[in-house]
Amino acid sequence: MAEVRYEAASRLYPGSEIPAVNELNLDITDGELLVLVGPSGSGKSTALRMLAGLETVTSGSVHINDVDVTLKPPQDRDIAMVFQNYALYPSMTVAENMGFALKQAKVPKEKRNELVREAARILDLEPYLDRKPKNLSGGQRQRVAMGRAIVREPQVFLMDEPLSNLDAKLRVQTRTELADLQARLGVTTVYVTHDQVEAMTMGDRVAVLKDGKLQQVDRPRTLYSRPANRFVAGFIGSPAMNLVEVDRQKGGFSLGGVDVPLNDETTAAVAAASGSSMTVGVRPEHLALGSSGLAGKVTVVEELGSESYVHVSVSHQGSDEVLVVRSGGETDIERGDTVHIGFNGPMHVFGTDGERLGS
Amino acid sequence: MATAVISHEEEVRRLQRREGWKRRLPILPALLFTIAVTQIPFLFTLFYSLTDWRIDTVDPRQFVGVENYVSLSGDKFFLDAAWISVQMTVMAVMGSLIVGTGLALLLDRKFFGQGFIRTLLITPFLVMPVVAGFMWKTQMFNATFGVINWVLNTIGIDSIEFATKYPLASVVVVLIWQWSPFMMLIVLAGLQGQDASVLEAARVDGATAWGTFRQITFPQLRPFLELGTLLGAIYLIQVYDHIEVIVGGQPGAKNLPFYIAQRSIGGGNRFGLASSYSIIVVIASIIIANIGLRVLSGLLEDNS
Amino acid sequence: MAIFTRAPKAEPILGQNRLVANLLGLLTWFIGLLFFFPLFWLVLNGFKEESVANASPTLIFDPTLDRFREVTEANAGLLSFAEAFGNSFWIVLISTIFVMILAVPAAYALAIRPMRKWRDVLFFFISTKFLPIVGIIMPIWIIARDLNLLGTRTVLVVLYTAMNLPLAVWMLRSFFAEVPKELIEAAQIDGCSLLGQLRQVILPIVAPGLAATALLCVIFAWNEFFFAIQLNPTGASTIPVWVNSQQKFQGQFLAGLSAASVLATLPVVVAGWAAQKRMIRGLAMGAIK
Repeated sequence: MAEVRYEAASRLYPGSEIPAVNELNLDITDGELLVLVGPSGSGKSTALRMLAGLETVTSGSVHINDVDVTLKPPQDRDIAMVFQNYALYPSMTVAENMGFALKQAKVPKEKRNELVREAARILDLEPYLDRKPKNLSGGQRQRVAMGRAIVREPQVFLMDEPLSNLDAKLRVQTRTELADLQARLGVTTVYVTHDQVEAMTMGDRVAVLKDGKLQQVDRPRTLYSRPANRFVAGFIGSPAMNLVEVDRQKGGFSLGGVDVPLNDETTAAVAAASGSSMTVGVRPEHLALGSSGLAGKVTVVEELGSESYVHVSVSHQGSDEVLVVRSGGETDIERGDTVHIGFNGPMHVFGTDGERLGS
Repeated sequence: MATAVISHEEEVRRLQRREGWKRRLPILPALLFTIAVTQIPFLFTLFYSLTDWRIDTVDPRQFVGVENYVSLSGDKFFLDAAWISVQMTVMAVMGSLIVGTGLALLLDRKFFGQGFIRTLLITPFLVMPVVAGFMWKTQMFNATFGVINWVLNTIGIDSIEFATKYPLASVVVVLIWQWSPFMMLIVLAGLQGQDASVLEAARVDGATAWGTFRQITFPQLRPFLELGTLLGAIYLIQVYDHIEVIVGGQPGAKNLPFYIAQRSIGGGNRFGLASSYSIIVVIASIIIANIGLRVLSGLLEDNS
Repeated sequence: MAIFTRAPKAEPILGQNRLVANLLGLLTWFIGLLFFFPLFWLVLNGFKEESVANASPTLIFDPTLDRFREVTEANAGLLSFAEAFGNSFWIVLISTIFVMILAVPAAYALAIRPMRKWRDVLFFFISTKFLPIVGIIMPIWIIARDLNLLGTRTVLVVLYTAMNLPLAVWMLRSFFAEVPKELIEAAQIDGCSLLGQLRQVILPIVAPGLAATALLCVIFAWNEFFFAIQLNPTGASTIPVWVNSQQKFQGQFLAGLSAASVLATLPVVVAGWAAQKRMIRGLAMGAIK
């Protein structure tokens, strides 16, 4: 059982000015499933590979169980990794793949077979133990990669987009199985994905990265309800939060000529901030179509069955802004209709530097 | 505590240095061997070319500067050999490239026995050059037993002793026969590496077969044709075996490598002078290679 | 897993019309057979009596194995066919082993854990292939003479190793580059040593490429003539030198020489046929990947 800690860990590639991972501080508690999420180039995979020992930590340090492993080679870190393309050894059978690490650790054959069989049982791989990877389906390969990791009973699991090569349906199914397996085994896990839905559904906590910098690390719900900055607000949630630039003024803001009040705490924070403008964010479910309020024209209706998302173009500060509004399913609203939008939920306000203002 | 404190940064640098050596070490034996057997002798050649060395006399080797090179412009043997080299290389490269491209286009289709015909077509490339020369000379070109002359006779043309009458053309024909398969393989690799969806898109856009070839296939094939030209030129400028077997010591098809060997190791013993010929061949190759390497590195850039 | 997938086959450029397609197929057959004809004729001549071979070309004759028998027994000149074959065999075998011993680590260093400026090193290797042999033959001859190596198998082993090394590095690098990086990282995490990674993970994947590379080296070394005739033209020499001297001095024995040529050519032709697909890829695509 293990805790993982990044202390101001950075990775600067030779010949590059900007670190791929920039002073990352992160505490991961024992048994936790922490998801690193971010767009491509955010440094999430690099951060994971620094923990694996596959990337040099150019400054700062990485600890597993209070042991500084910064300079240790991968094999001395007691970790297991699941790769995006599974990295199964093509010349070995499923059983040999799963037992390879144990063989390297000179575990006796009897014991090895037993552990492999046990892992295969957990993952429903028993019928395939003698097959080569190329004779397996994508989902089976993914499970073998998982099996190879769990058979070693490592301190930490590292997973680098392990589901991204599966088709959409299998991905959703495997997602829950994987989270369940992790909870049952109770092994600390660091999981990398670019898919924010995967991050939100799987992670005990989610760390959002952008340009090598940690933006926010929190439980999924907090991340959703209190994004720390403009980037996290826009990145987490599907469909994305509506973000509109407005003039900074006391007590509220004006959107398309309609005045919207803010709560006291936010108002105070706005008053203390600098700059002439700020960004206001509202989630689609916190907007409602009604008979009065902000007027706009419907451009797109996304009908999802149980609910629908209505894209409304409103005129704001001389240009058109599109707001996405959640509405009930089986709506009669059509493209071209004129509708009115009301505000009925929490507002998120971000200053000119993108940081959150108020609660 | 008296122990020196090593900072993390220093430790990282130390590890990276060690890692750097770990990465370089496996390449060193091959690198050193190659330098020893190819680069160092070349420097010797360069040095010899500045001397009047004849190894058959007791005269000491004298440094003569660029005299050998100056004399080349009036050296009829050298100029003849150089001209033969140019003709032979250009004709053989162009010929095999054209024939090879044609073969590749024919082979890049599904037909009965495709694999078998491809196997037959690559065989000339595998044949020992000495055997190829002997075979063509005695069994194809020969005036009395040669198949070509037998065919000519049956249509009423008198026999021709090709190897004596047209030595250069004879050598070039055999070279084209051996090198067309090589060009074919390179072009075939290019044809088969084409993205099928691009071709389909072109067809959907209403392009004709010829239009597709000219506007899509050919531009994609170009680097492969350039690669074939480069490799072909580099090898064919050095041809020796075919000349030795087909024309031997007779005039008419002696290129520079043949002449160099004859004037030095082959009994001429003029090592100084012959070395200056060698340097000229090397310079020509460097020019070809330089143009070619630019093409190759373009290929590497595009695909990495 | 990229190594198991192939790009979809592009449609042919020529012949989308059925009749045209059939005619083109026929044409391809005709040209293929025409290209092969000289070799076919060589084989036929090997089965003829000398009197039949040294006459107007004919397809009708009584085939005989006598020429093949005579060639393998004959001891006409200084060097018999069997001796030359044996010399070739050992020179080619040992030089190819040396090439692989030197090239495998180099290719590993260039493809799997590339050092900085690996491209420059690769280009250095391949550029040595662009150095004409005449640029180095004289010093090599003199060094070999001074070391008393003229006329020995050793000198050819060294030179054939040097001759094939750049090509082997070039080809092997492209095969090694196909090993997914993650596989090696997985092996590292699984606690595999450098040597273990090479033996247990990389070699099983690149084995076919290794075989193709070795075969190509064998073909080039087996057919090599220039070094052999310049440095070792006599007793310890190879098949090409033997064929050349025979055709020079015994030009009349067409059938016997044809039989010998068939035996001299067959090993590498068969090897080339067997490995053609991978060799093509290694040669041509080595430049691309």
